[in-house]
Amino acid sequence: MIEAPAGTAWYVYGVAEDDPTLARLEGVELIRDSGLTAVVRAVPLEEYDEAALPERLNDRDWLERNARAHEDVLQEVAAVTAVVPLRFGAIYRSRDQVLGMLDERAGEFRSTLERVRGHVELGVKAWVDLPSLERTLGGDEVAAGSAGAAYLQRRRQEQERSRQATARCAELAEEAHRRLSEVAVAAVANRPQPRELTGRTEAMVLNGAYLVRSGDDLLRLEVERLAKEHSSDGVEYELTGPWPPHNFAEERT
Amino acid sequence: MVERRSLAEQVTLLDLVDRVLNKGVVVTGDVTLSVADVDLVYVGLRLLLASAATLEREAAR
Repeated sequence: MIEAPAGTAWYVYGVAEDDPTLARLEGVELIRDSGLTAVVRAVPLEEYDEAALPERLNDRDWLERNARAHEDVLQEVAAVTAVVPLRFGAIYRSRDQVLGMLDERAGEFRSTLERVRGHVELGVKAWVDLPSLERTLGGDEVAAGSAGAAYLQRRRQEQERSRQATARCAELAEEAHRRLSEVAVAAVANRPQPRELTGRTEAMVLNGAYLVRSGDDLLRLEVERLAKEHSSDGVEYELTGPWPPHNFAEERT
Repeated sequence: MVERRSLAEQVTLLDLVDRVLNKGVVVTGDVTLSVADVDLVYVGLRLLLASAATLEREAAR
């Protein structure tokens, strides 16, 4: 391993357990130090220049290309050995600085690798179609009376139904996360993605990440059960993964 | 239940950003995204994705 070519720097994707098969990965370089391997690639420094970066990050094509590249490398590494994913944009100008980072954080990397070895991350999202959930909650028929009184009563019922629907969503999400956590080694409930970003009409009520043993089918079966049980409430489940352990990379305190 | 394998081409940009930019170990490199920068990404992405979603919906019509 020599220094990154002029005008480039080392972008570090993740830190893996040393494994001879890593050498077969294409398009990446390995920087090794006492049992830990930083998986890196030389990237043009100007693209990651601090001044240019905010603009790049707001360029959808650039962001998508580089976020996918980051994920692709981690997936390839994870297929071979245990890996701690680093956050996007860890750049070092020299090999020595990468070695310094490995050395400084060695204890943390080792304990995380120990924890994630043989495991994968699965993502579970639950989506609720609010109108159909509100329909299942039903409501009283509007009593006969003057038009004005009937209107007020209908408004009150709508507000009550919407309040009940919100409470039911929280209940469903909580139940799902609890049951999924029981079949996982570790679990994180992330903030649901807002509707203006998902572009979907359904509301996301659960955005969970679960660390499970590689090849373990229990979580997938539990999602299937939840999907069956909650379908009458207008809930749809989505399972993503296996992912490298992005959500379980930080050391627990 | 909808199942999506995380082969990168099947994963949404939003899911990628959620993991690749928001999770993972933070190390101090020569270039490191500060929290403020990530917030900027979110602001930018919000606008970009919102407009992309709108475009896709319009295209689907």
